[in-house]
Amino acid sequence: MTYLQAISEGLRSEMRDDERVLLMGEDIGVFGGAFKVTDGFIGEFGSDRVMDTPLAESGIVGTAVGAAIVGMRPVCEMQFADFVACGFDQIINVAGKMFYRQGLPVNITVRLPSGGGFSGGPFHSQSPEAWFMHSPGIKVVAPSTAEDAKGLMIASIRDPNPVVYMEHKNLYRRVKGDVPEGSYETPFSARVAREGSELVVITYGAMVNTALEATEDLDTHSGTGGASIMVLDLRTLTPLDEPAILSAVRACSKVVIVDEANQTCAAGAQVAALIAEHAFEDLDGPVVRVASPDVPVPYSPPLEQAVLPSVDRVREACRQLLEY
Amino acid sequence: MPQMGVSVVEGTIIAWRKQLGDWVESDETIAEVSTDKIDTEIPSPAAGRLVEILVDVGVTVDVGVTLARIATDARPGEPHDAEREPYDDQREPPAASPPQSPSAPSAPPADETARRGSSRRYSPVVQRIAAEHDVELDAIEGTGREGRVRKQDVIAYVEARAAAEPAADEAGEPALHTESPYRPDPPGGGDGPYKPPEGRPLSRMRQMIGEHMQRSLRTAATCTTWIEVDVSRIELARKEKGITALPLIARCVIGALVEFPQLNAWLEDDIHTVHEQVNLGIAVALDDDDGLIVPVVRGAQDLSAEGLSRRIRDVARRARARELTADDVHGATFTLTNPGQFGSIMATPVISQPQVAILDVEAITKRPVVVTDAFGQDAIAIRPMVILGLSWDHRALDGALAARFLANIKRRVESYES
Repeated sequence: MTYLQAISEGLRSEMRDDERVLLMGEDIGVFGGAFKVTDGFIGEFGSDRVMDTPLAESGIVGTAVGAAIVGMRPVCEMQFADFVACGFDQIINVAGKMFYRQGLPVNITVRLPSGGGFSGGPFHSQSPEAWFMHSPGIKVVAPSTAEDAKGLMIASIRDPNPVVYMEHKNLYRRVKGDVPEGSYETPFSARVAREGSELVVITYGAMVNTALEATEDLDTHSGTGGASIMVLDLRTLTPLDEPAILSAVRACSKVVIVDEANQTCAAGAQVAALIAEHAFEDLDGPVVRVASPDVPVPYSPPLEQAVLPSVDRVREACRQLLEY
Repeated sequence: MPQMGVSVVEGTIIAWRKQLGDWVESDETIAEVSTDKIDTEIPSPAAGRLVEILVDVGVTVDVGVTLARIATDARPGEPHDAEREPYDDQREPPAASPPQSPSAPSAPPADETARRGSSRRYSPVVQRIAAEHDVELDAIEGTGREGRVRKQDVIAYVEARAAAEPAADEAGEPALHTESPYRPDPPGGGDGPYKPPEGRPLSRMRQMIGEHMQRSLRTAATCTTWIEVDVSRIELARKEKGITALPLIARCVIGALVEFPQLNAWLEDDIHTVHEQVNLGIAVALDDDDGLIVPVVRGAQDLSAEGLSRRIRDVARRARARELTADDVHGATFTLTNPGQFGSIMATPVISQPQVAILDVEAITKRPVVVTDAFGQDAIAIRPMVILGLSWDHRALDGALAARFLANIKRRVESYES
């Protein structure tokens, strides 16, 4: 099953099990969504539960917040993660603070098809997860495998908090994997994608696959042979799985953190700060970050490849640190 | 005899490292000395030739007494009086020799290497592993960039050393079942008059401790006050940080000392000195019950719990390795003692003069206690509890202040947040 089918599967499973779950978004009904995540849903669940909305993200999220307060469990699709900026106020100031101000849980899930790598240009390629990490009251998840895509979708819908669900467009049809039958929740915690002892690459989303490829049979320049490299898939950015991060650092003592997002204040910056504060005595080298430079994602394919963290860049960063 | 600490009044020469006529560099060890605080080395105050030894080995003298004389106008390599050949008389008298640079013309190359070696920098994890396993990092060949010592280098070194050690143990271990464990009772048990074994004089350290403790009890009007404290939060923080409870409790005590500086004080005769800086003495039992030493963590008010943990570990290790310097044991303004590791729950500690109080931290034990929930409902809960015992000097303060100080510590411990 592909990553995209796993997301559909998670949505469908929750809609069948729980009639409070409903979907809202632009062209998600008759057209089945820009990426066909909700293809066929309107036929099974009807237009009351699979709602085509106007092109107004603020309205989509705002309506969902109201529905959640009266007991529904809405799932909003932003056609592209980039467009969530128009719904930002409703997520940050209304959904994120409702429970704090009035004690009302806002059980909404906002799906953000994010990330680049396919020449989508600056409006269709962003990774805006850190915007939401910075604001309290919102959970942020970012699956990298088909199995986690389904499990985190179900867990997000059931979680009483607003959850921003980052689904990476470049994984939609490229990543395939076995997905368990039936309904299951993936916990909001990190996952060791590969065990290792000499260095850990900490990342999430599409970069998990980049990291796994970059560190497969990694030879150092000095030719000491295949290094033992752990890859930690964060899966959830808020709450950040601090014990998992610290125990990985304790085991490996050398850390490379990879973000597809722009470097400044990215999720990895928070991970690096956490390590500096709580794992100082376990470090055997500087904490190294690989991320996109602070520029928009270019449309031109060679320029885009130069901006996004590549397998080669991650591999070279690991080599340099291993030899330190 | 140099002043080694405020309360040190005398010292005993254990050994002379330099003999009459030897050349001695400035700060080079000239003699070893034992005081009631520590055994330590005396660095030479100047470069020159040792021309007179005034105090022999085994003799105890007061602080300030001259131990030896060094001729500072002598030069290295110059034969000294005892070696001087008769025709040396023809040489110019020393006073007429041209003034020379007092420093040696060139440092020996071995020294140079040592200095370069010790300027190598190590990562935090390498330093921590080295400290935990007592590894001299300069001895390790690094395989990192430009010879940097990496984590795997120090681990390989520790493992290689460990692999070498048990081999020796195995050889020394007796084979199993070659000898009956039965031993006949010693003859004469119970019958006839009791013949006690031969007594031996107390060690120097025991005598010193005894003298100090007796003097304290004679000097201070010692009272002891106890308080019972719930350490649930300390236990949580301890697990989270992977350190012992002592530095966390010490952190709370230091906070209370800053708020109640009257407890962070000295009383010498009728002179009362209240300190702003907290120099925390930590009582460390030496191995084999061979006495006790109280190294000092200076400026403790500025240290985090983790920082305290590190410093306590460091001074305790050096105390047990007998590597403390005079500075390490001098200037404490308040003392913590922590014998609870063996399960005891209460004590009446003796104040270390001239301080005015000492806090005893005993064993943390789980006990049923009455707790009140947010709705004012009482319930019995199992909580980790500890008894803190404060011995204080009634000359310097009264019981109400001691109790308020303890209550302040209790509040800090019970609301501890890391």
